[in-house]
Amino acid sequence: MTAIGRGRISWFALFWIAALPVHVAHAQAALNSGDALVERRETKAWLSRIQEAASKRSYQGTVVVSSGSAVASSRITHHCEGRDQFERIDSLDGQARHVVRQNEKVHTVWPQRRVAMVERRDQLSSFPGLLQAGGDRVPDYYELHSAGQERVAGREANVLSLRPKDQHRYGYRLWVDKATGLLLRTEVLGERGGVLESAAFSDVAIGVRPSVDSLLQPIRKLDGFRVLQPVALATRLEKEGWSLSPKVPGFQEVSCVKRSADGPLRAQSPGGGPEPQMVQAVFSDGITYVTVFIEPYSAERHPRAMNTAIGATQTLMHRHADAWITLMGDVPAPTLRLFAEALERRQ
Amino acid sequence: MSERSDGKLPPMEDVSALIDGELDESAVARACAQWRDDPSAREAWHTYQLIGDVLRSDDLASTASRDNAFLASLRERLAAEPVVLAPQPMIAPTEILAQPAVVNGDAGRRHWRTPMAMVAGFAVVATVLVVTRMHGANDAEGVLAARGDSAAAILVSSAGTPPSGVGNLQAVDRQGEPAMILDGNLVRDARLDEYLAAHKKFGGSSGPGAPSGFLRNAAATAGR
Repeated sequence: MTAIGRGRISWFALFWIAALPVHVAHAQAALNSGDALVERRETKAWLSRIQEAASKRSYQGTVVVSSGSAVASSRITHHCEGRDQFERIDSLDGQARHVVRQNEKVHTVWPQRRVAMVERRDQLSSFPGLLQAGGDRVPDYYELHSAGQERVAGREANVLSLRPKDQHRYGYRLWVDKATGLLLRTEVLGERGGVLESAAFSDVAIGVRPSVDSLLQPIRKLDGFRVLQPVALATRLEKEGWSLSPKVPGFQEVSCVKRSADGPLRAQSPGGGPEPQMVQAVFSDGITYVTVFIEPYSAERHPRAMNTAIGATQTLMHRHADAWITLMGDVPAPTLRLFAEALERRQ
Repeated sequence: MSERSDGKLPPMEDVSALIDGELDESAVARACAQWRDDPSAREAWHTYQLIGDVLRSDDLASTASRDNAFLASLRERLAAEPVVLAPQPMIAPTEILAQPAVVNGDAGRRHWRTPMAMVAGFAVVATVLVVTRMHGANDAEGVLAARGDSAAAILVSSAGTPPSGVGNLQAVDRQGEPAMILDGNLVRDARLDEYLAAHKKFGGSSGPGAPSGFLRNAAATAGR
């Protein structure tokens, strides 16, 4: 009697498993399978799915980012047409600002100040190579687990938990749209599991076809605007007389540029001699990244060493011989200290 | 439900369900019609209500004559109430509320009293906001300082510094020197914002596949 009963239950369970949508069952079972190889492959598959959805889908929505005690929302429109990507981000809080990206070319427009800035993304970093380069290493340093399903911005989402395998990095919770793989919500989790920073679509439409004209509208008429074109030159830390081999496992240098130490928005005196140069190097473990800024030390510009936290971003500033070092990273403070210790002057 | 509509249940079942709020829309209409047409249903209704009242409170257990007397006097007073026939001119709803019984010169005074009260209310709110803000700043500073991380801690409020979009920043000065403080607010280092913008903009975004690093940057420097 009991044997028959048990048999019936398992048939019942089988029925339900068969009835579930294939990808859900797949995600749940494969990610939590306990087989290291399967989990590794699945982790990579999930990350590349997320990555691809963010760049190749067309979507439009409002994203709310909260970092520490600050909350800001932006309207984002992303459009992909063949190989061309268009993206427009309008900040909805504070001063009006539009960021319009056509592939690698990025315009930032402040309509009230009548200032526009034109940059090339590939000049400053190898993004999107950033994540692709690190994607293979991610399973070495993080574990991806399925954590059920939830509804976000009116859409069904798979909840994934990305847990660090060591103390050097933060964990993440990801809400991935079931139908498209678009990331609908993310949370950065601190050492004790508290949420340090979160970003979420409050509403989103996926698969819309916005007109490219309206997307590019903020950069159509820039007559009378001050147009800034900051220049950044690709370089290597070694070439600039520095070396940094990270003591933190998993981090690799993904970009290094040399640019003016003054931000482009600062008023620059035209005949004021050579401007101080700054070296900016980015290290990534495939998920998060650390930026190292190196510039000549000046007592007036760099009054004191500092250690701050804003949301998930830690900052460490201090003097190193004749240089002023600023380290920023979305990693725990001790990780930044390890980076600071690894930085060496070669000349 | 189907049994009930067949009329196989005792006729007062619907009345009881009506009292308990358990009937659906069509059944409510049917029960009300029954109440209107059938004196025994009305009697049952009264009895059920009385039972409920007594269960809730002994004070509600009264004789039917008392209820009748109350009902009769209510009807009398209702009948004596004058019927307002003159149509009211369209006025802003706030004014109707503000002067329900305009009879004489009182009206003029009531007119300005409301706005004044509102102004006073705003003033109170503003004061409370200022007070809590200051308190908040001081408290937080106290808490942070009390934590005693290797050095003095200062709470930074970004209020009043236009270039910053980052809310609160907690700065731990390594050398233990107090940082610049002005009226309880630490002056935000505009340079820090520049570093932050550069870090977030071209480093990409933290976490995989967030739409763009620019998005986080947009949030970090919303005020710029």
